[in-house]
Amino acid sequence: MEFPTKVIGDKAYIRITSDLDTETAGEALRSAFNECYEQGKRTIILDLSGAQIINSYGIGKVLMCYKRLKAENGVLMVKPLDGFVKETFELLMLDKLLPIDDSNGQ
Amino acid sequence: MSVGANPPCILLADGNEQSREMFGTFFAGRGWAYDVVPDSSAMAGALERGTYDIIIADVELSGHDSARVLRDILEKHPSQAIIAVSPNATYEDALKMFRSGATDLLARPVDFSWLERVVQQIVFSRRNDERERATYRFIKSECAEMCFSCADLAQLSSISLPLVGRLAQSGMLSHTDALKIRLAVQEAVLNGLEHGNLELDSQWKEEIGADGSDRFSSVRNQRLADPKYAERHVYVNLAFGDGCLEIAVRDEGKGFLNAHAVQSNGKLDSLACSGRGLALMSSAVDEVRFDKNGSVVTMIKRLHERKSTEDYGS
Repeated sequence: MEFPTKVIGDKAYIRITSDLDTETAGEALRSAFNECYEQGKRTIILDLSGAQIINSYGIGKVLMCYKRLKAENGVLMVKPLDGFVKETFELLMLDKLLPIDDSNGQ
Repeated sequence: MSVGANPPCILLADGNEQSREMFGTFFAGRGWAYDVVPDSSAMAGALERGTYDIIIADVELSGHDSARVLRDILEKHPSQAIIAVSPNATYEDALKMFRSGATDLLARPVDFSWLERVVQQIVFSRRNDERERATYRFIKSECAEMCFSCADLAQLSSISLPLVGRLAQSGMLSHTDALKIRLAVQEAVLNGLEHGNLELDSQWKEEIGADGSDRFSSVRNQRLADPKYAERHVYVNLAFGDGCLEIAVRDEGKGFLNAHAVQSNGKLDSLACSGRGLALMSSAVDEVRFDKNGSVVTMIKRLHERKSTEDYGS
């Protein structure tokens, strides 16, 4: 499984194309994140519109990305959320942690 | 695949007379009950007067856009099975029709042997669902137990919970609650597997190596290959009765007590490497209990009143 990435200027975008509830999906996110990170991108935006479900495993991977960027004054953002993923983010207060990118960059 | 003693009942909506005759000859030859209409308003009238196992509808009916034809049907009859008939067999058209609610797609020229198989599959499946719903009008209790070894569990992307699905079908559980419960069970099973049986420490998720991988994942993979850990089991017991659904997940580890999730002010620590699964479990059910140092997690969800018999069939 691979999640597509795209670089526009100094920002990198990762499009999540499946539910984030398995090790396979988590590893795909880690791999896509590493690809952007190693290109020197420190503003990375996740598009979670392709995921209907995210569980603690997927959230753990998202937070791993957040912490790595934060350690270098970078920022992890998300495209506007909806549905169950949005509800899960609000329950776990991640909506307060990760800014929303509603630009048309991707 | 047999559809039993009752043949399928089909409504065909097709603006082309020759096509209507062709379909009619096919249906009659199979002994299927059917009605034929030439346009969307006649189709709407037929649906007001009777019920059909399947509607076979030309997506260019009455000159309307295909999505609209399907939407018009599903607005009033949300669970109606529809086979959309289209002159185009492109991927984009197929995607559009499935997203508009089509059960299946038939391209012209029609392959009638394929149509016969699809009709039988749809009717068989829907009649099975009806039998389950009918059973659940009256059932008072049901139990199920599942047992997995760690090695096998690690290969499953998710666990199916047929009992929960049946309760959702019967209306005793909303579909959203069923989804939340599925996630909660997944969290409990993951806890049982990783923190219980494989004895993995959540703090290891924070220990990132030079290659970007974390110690938690590395040790997880090692222990899944070690029979001492891999042959331990996780048990999932589901029991429905007395207006409640009770789910117990038990592992064969030493149990866990999650001390990292809660800050001194009692609030969930969003950045903690653990504890989110517990929050997801708690939000899905009415009560969560931890016994035996966490190696048994019991979740209880109170169910809705059973639907009245008039509501069944929708």
